[in-house]
Amino acid sequence: MTLIASNLTTKGKEEFFLNDISFEMSPGKIYTIIGRTLSGKTTLLKTIAGLIAQDSGTLSFNGNNFDVIPVWKRQVAMVYQQFINYPHLNVYDNIAFPLKQRKVDLAEIKDRVKQAIEQVGLEGFEERKIQALSGGQQQRVALARSLVKNANILLLDEPLVNLDYKLREQLREEFKKIFSSKASEEAILIYSTTDPIEAMQLGGEVIVMDEGKILQQGSAKEIYENPRSTKVAEITNDPAMNLFDGEINGKKITLNKEVILNIPKHFKDLPDGKYSFGIRASGVTIDKSGFPFQIELAEISGSETFLHLNNDQIHVVGLLDAVKNFNIGETVKVSFDIEKLYAFGSDGILMSSPYNGTK
Amino acid sequence: MGTFYTTLKYTAVTIWSMFVIAPFLWALSTSFKDFNSVTSGATYIPWVDFEPTLEGWRVLLRSPAQGGVNIVEPYLNSIFVTCLASFISILLGTLAAYALSRYTFKAGFIKNDDITFFFISQRIMPPVVLAIPFFIMLGKLGLLDTLLGLVMVYVVLLMPIAVWIMVDFFNKVPVEIDETALIDGCNPIQAFFKVVLPNSIPGMVVAGLFCMIFGWTDFFFAFILTFTEVQLLPVAIVSLNSSITPWWSLSAAALVSVAPLIVVAFIVERYLSKGNLSGALK
Amino acid sequence: MAQIKLQNIAHSYNPNSVDSKYALKPFDMTWVDGGRYAILGPSGCGKSTMLNIMSGIVKPSEGRLLFDGVDVTDETTSDRNIAQVFQFPVIYGTMTVHDNLAFPLVCRGYDKSFIESKVNEVAEALSLEGLLSQSARKLTADQKQLISLGRGLVRDNVAAILMDEPLTVIDPDLKFRLRRKLKEINQKYQSTLIYVTHDQNEAMTFAENIIVMDDGEIVQVGSPAELFDRPRTTFVGYFIGAPAMNLFECDVVDSNSIKFGGAKITTETDLKSVNGENIKLGIRAEYVQLMKSTAKNTVQAKVESVDDWGNHKLISANFEGNIIKVKVKREVEVPAENVYLKFPTNNCCIYENEILVP
Repeated sequence: MTLIASNLTTKGKEEFFLNDISFEMSPGKIYTIIGRTLSGKTTLLKTIAGLIAQDSGTLSFNGNNFDVIPVWKRQVAMVYQQFINYPHLNVYDNIAFPLKQRKVDLAEIKDRVKQAIEQVGLEGFEERKIQALSGGQQQRVALARSLVKNANILLLDEPLVNLDYKLREQLREEFKKIFSSKASEEAILIYSTTDPIEAMQLGGEVIVMDEGKILQQGSAKEIYENPRSTKVAEITNDPAMNLFDGEINGKKITLNKEVILNIPKHFKDLPDGKYSFGIRASGVTIDKSGFPFQIELAEISGSETFLHLNNDQIHVVGLLDAVKNFNIGETVKVSFDIEKLYAFGSDGILMSSPYNGTK
Repeated sequence: MGTFYTTLKYTAVTIWSMFVIAPFLWALSTSFKDFNSVTSGATYIPWVDFEPTLEGWRVLLRSPAQGGVNIVEPYLNSIFVTCLASFISILLGTLAAYALSRYTFKAGFIKNDDITFFFISQRIMPPVVLAIPFFIMLGKLGLLDTLLGLVMVYVVLLMPIAVWIMVDFFNKVPVEIDETALIDGCNPIQAFFKVVLPNSIPGMVVAGLFCMIFGWTDFFFAFILTFTEVQLLPVAIVSLNSSITPWWSLSAAALVSVAPLIVVAFIVERYLSKGNLSGALK
Repeated sequence: MAQIKLQNIAHSYNPNSVDSKYALKPFDMTWVDGGRYAILGPSGCGKSTMLNIMSGIVKPSEGRLLFDGVDVTDETTSDRNIAQVFQFPVIYGTMTVHDNLAFPLVCRGYDKSFIESKVNEVAEALSLEGLLSQSARKLTADQKQLISLGRGLVRDNVAAILMDEPLTVIDPDLKFRLRRKLKEINQKYQSTLIYVTHDQNEAMTFAENIIVMDDGEIVQVGSPAELFDRPRTTFVGYFIGAPAMNLFECDVVDSNSIKFGGAKITTETDLKSVNGENIKLGIRAEYVQLMKSTAKNTVQAKVESVDDWGNHKLISANFEGNIIKVKVKREVEVPAENVYLKFPTNNCCIYENEILVP
């Protein structure tokens, strides 16, 4: 029961909502679509649901042409980011709605609704009206309704984005448990988000989208270790990966007059020339024997401090594994862990990574 | 400080209520007066200020042959025409409003908003502009002086109200609810009836109320398009007039004609005050 | 610039009804001029109410509000000289960026040359100078938020800038940039910045002092480091930090040790006066140390799962039914089966009835 998309394209007045999208999704797996707002995630999800028809390209499911099947026959389920429930029904009827629609018999409806309510932790809420529920509870109802259908494809469009930070963390944990039981039922789970950390934590296969295109598809680990381009590196890292221009010259990497680094082993096959270099904040830290940088900003996060540093046009964010206050303008010595350096070509494409060596 | 303001509030409300109720009380007591009591300037209280009589009321029930104006038949006609026309207007208007809210129409440069405005614009036109065209059209169809003809004309006049109120209402219901219904297995028609409509009842109630008020109180078209066979209440009441203005029967007739609207308003108000209305009333 | 003092402020939205409930329980608070504060708490805790009381949108049912000693409780919002930035950018779509920023000054009747200099100054501070002549409607969400902010800055002598979850509509990677801008503004103009959020990350990175609220009550006020290292209640320990603080039920053994499962853990806390029933041990996932073998204050646990969080790994280890979460750097090797986890004495917090034992 594989979902296959071939060359899906949908165009607006000037911009592409979907630009030649192709993928293959197998049952029993979670797919996380990560991208900025307006990157096409919602359009893609709605196209899979059948709410929007693509301008060109085909969708097929289980070998059959999906495009000729109208929304109400597609056996999909969707959870939106705004809490969408039927306002005129109570919690029980909301969740039972799709089953009643499909004329499932009453005893079975009772069982399945009870099971779904337990899965989302809403026992005791069956009689309540939707308006009386909090945001988190409303999303749980929406989720329960999507689970009760045993749909083939479960679509979640940034379902946690309108919730409290802590509630988000909590629900994400619960989602993972619910999803692993759904996955064993051979459903395809598609979850869209803008948050790289959420994508990592869900632990499924990640699809990176930008401006309607799929930039990279792979495991969360693969995307972390080998982002295919600078764009992917920007989208999938929080804080964003540091990117700066520089030059490889003989045995050294020159970033500017002062900052000159040694060449790491994994760069050894790279020819001399200009590159975009990338390094995560965790690879830049304070070191007595480093280069002088000015502190633009210091932000404390838990037990670490993020430092925004500047040396003559090179702006980087570094990480100190301690909590310390700094003054703006203070000069500190900063070192780069060259083993964590990435090299991207002038076209932005990855040429060498610490995990995979040079391509 | 609290009690002072509370007393002030209640006093203000009481005074205002008296302003509002006074005309009704006046009409009520006048309907029991006779010619002499009215001209001598008697006021409110029966048996004290004047001698009450049921003459004003009896006139309304007496047939024309006996010198009265029987308003029972016009009354029933008005109820029939208003209810039927309102019902059809709400039915067609709601469906049209749903289409305008959810689907995109385009004919040249004309888009959804233009079509909605076209509907609303029907109410902006002075009724007099429509009088002659309607007269000629009903004449050609042989529907002058018939209930059916009147209903048709009223539907044309009342439907814009329904469309106007319901488009606004539907726009406030998120389209994601329709989408969820589709995903849950409803085809578009089922989605409308099972999910969107139940959530639009407050809007329809308000639209219904407005339709009924405008339909019931219309004099102009009733007057122009009916003569002898069919008469509506407003026309019948006007015909009460003669060389001596019969204040007593006019008062009785006025009360009788306002009564249904008050009843409807009370029923609707109870429903609205339950908090079901979420912004449809502008 | 002003010192803001809240004296015995409390608020109830239905004070005269039978079951009146406090949305904001009575409290005292002083906001020091030029400071950066965050009000942090879950939805419905009363933080927006507090902000609205300060800006004047809501009049408190009890208490007085003083700006620099002057009682402003009865004054309207416009008289209080407060700038407020909301969750959604509020811009005048029909005007250019320049006119948007100039609006508050034009309304107050300042003369043209003063307006020009102020608008240019603020536009430069917010890096908007290139966009002054553009229509405000065409900007991105974060640029629109900067305009909302800028409108508050053009006014001299703004007592405070109040922000109600202003970064909600901004993409994650741009949030960083906006936070930096806000801090620069705070440095340059020395205006008091008060930031309301439910995102503890934002609060921690932005503020010098964080006020944690729950259910209408102020639970703890402190610097980010204090809140992280020594949360005053288990709620603060749960709410601050990702993941939430590890909390385990335990029993007091002697004057500074507790018994957790079968292990004795020594802490720096003086436990002599602790004798309650509800005793908990709290330790942050970041502070639990991975050891090669057993040692003091160390327990042996079984690894249940290791989650990949990008720059970190989150280990969930089972010790006698208790799940211990440990956050380590990505490079750290995690044994497959058994781990030895050390609880450093200075990082252990003991809670009696959910409140920290000092």
